[in-house]
Amino acid sequence: MVEVLKTALGPLGLGHPVINASGTFDLLEADEVLRADLMAEFPFAAYVPKTVTMEPRAGNDPPRLFETAAGLLNSIGLANRGIEAFIDEDLPRLAALPVPLIASIAGERTDDYGRCALLLDECDRVDAVELNISCPNVELGGMALGCDPYKTRQATEYARESTSRFLIVKLTPNVTDITSLARAAVEGGADCISVINTVHGMALDPLRLKPALGHVTGGLSGPAIKPVALRAIYMISREVDVPVIGMGGATTAQDVLEFLAAGASVVAIGTASFRDPLLAARLAGELRVLMEQRGFGSVRELIGHAHKE
Amino acid sequence: MGAPGRAEAAYSACRVIESRPVGAYRLVSFIAREMAAGARPGQFLMVRRSGPALDPLLPRPMSIHDVESDLVKVLIDPVGKGTLNLAAAGVGDQFNVLGPLGNGFNLEGDGPALLAGGGIGAAPLAYLARQLMDRGREVTCLLGFRSRAQAIAAELFRGVDVHVSTEDGSVGRQGLVSELLSGCIAGLGPGARQAELFACGPDAMLRAVSATALECGVRSQVSVDTHMACGVGACQGCVVETVQGYRRACSEGPVFAAADLKW
Repeated sequence: MVEVLKTALGPLGLGHPVINASGTFDLLEADEVLRADLMAEFPFAAYVPKTVTMEPRAGNDPPRLFETAAGLLNSIGLANRGIEAFIDEDLPRLAALPVPLIASIAGERTDDYGRCALLLDECDRVDAVELNISCPNVELGGMALGCDPYKTRQATEYARESTSRFLIVKLTPNVTDITSLARAAVEGGADCISVINTVHGMALDPLRLKPALGHVTGGLSGPAIKPVALRAIYMISREVDVPVIGMGGATTAQDVLEFLAAGASVVAIGTASFRDPLLAARLAGELRVLMEQRGFGSVRELIGHAHKE
Repeated sequence: MGAPGRAEAAYSACRVIESRPVGAYRLVSFIAREMAAGARPGQFLMVRRSGPALDPLLPRPMSIHDVESDLVKVLIDPVGKGTLNLAAAGVGDQFNVLGPLGNGFNLEGDGPALLAGGGIGAAPLAYLARQLMDRGREVTCLLGFRSRAQAIAAELFRGVDVHVSTEDGSVGRQGLVSELLSGCIAGLGPGARQAELFACGPDAMLRAVSATALECGVRSQVSVDTHMACGVGACQGCVVETVQGYRRACSEGPVFAAADLKW
């Protein structure tokens, strides 16, 4: 990868600053279908698999998806096969992946984060752990936990005590003051903040005029939420001293450029991968061109540019 | 895992080579040699207009209606953003197309094949009928529509034994396709037990035809229509409930044994 794009997230060296958002890119599923050798030529600078929980979860009643104006509402509900299957079956298949792996975990109670993190601490393949305390589609834990600064800090502390891995806490935008949650996570021992998870919303079926999703409400993603994400990145990166992973509607290289300038150290691509699963392979190259055009010689120089006098 | 050296663009840019109305529906053909060569009946494509437009945001799943040399054809009912966008496209317009995706119908077996389509659910049955007939299966195709404007699609089933019903009685028998099916199964007599039903349409129609088939000892494969985001098994968004739990329509379907579906 080109020198100008090389960057780092804490101890993780990255070839460029674009990674995937959890739950939007499944390497083990996609490789065959996309007829591309993704394991060898992985388009993202790090891989974040879908969130796992202590116990398997079936997920929410369908329908789980509804497209809105420049956005996507989902209510998947953290469907996953549980952390044991992740460790025993998925991680060995990811051994040859040439980029860092960031495991994403969620729980119903704050101490679940400690239990999951402890199990992952044994796994050499796991380079970092992201605490998903911001899913809007589960009844217990998730966003309910991540809306409360005390519980945010507590969940982070449990995880911090259980692992020495680089620890990321992913926050919800569905709060009055997102910076107070970022502070709580950092006080609890977080090495990094990622923002934003999806924006709580709903849609009606246009003909029936009844909720379009089986779970009634869902999380909004896609270009529609980019300004919400940009603000969160800007506010948090000004408030805390740890790096920020920016996500929420980034679809183009210009979006990546702006998220970095707003203060993100790394940008995650989510819904845009559904439009084009190999988008990330182009984004890094396009970002390099945009940086050259504007005279940025390194990613470090670009990060937080919007804050500078 | 993909073999080394197979890396290529996930979505192929495909041009519309033909687009014409078929009553209320629209038949659109893409030039897509590789997809045409590999497509099986009941598989689908993810289709989105090339370019940066954010509306529609995501590709739409569209079942493969037919395949002819290097052309892949879809038959669509332009009612939502994605289908309207494709229906409005002119010859030469470029779309990003991924496919063929999904499992498709299981064509093994040798008994009489009863095909049942509800509305735009008729779309994948033309290619299916031809492939079954090529395998020497006896094929009867039952198509139910709301009205004449939709029923014109029956013309796309040339050389197939087609029976049509419409809800308003404007074409064929008045009523639902499940009623056509009852009569058809009765006509098979004792041979019905070797018969197999292949169906595509709205959930209510699939429930009705597979229930009718079950009563007569006829097993069914049904193709479900769900909202999808990725089309490749990643997002878990398109699940349907089966006796084994939720299953993804994109990567584990869209064709399921009716006996496995919980509805």
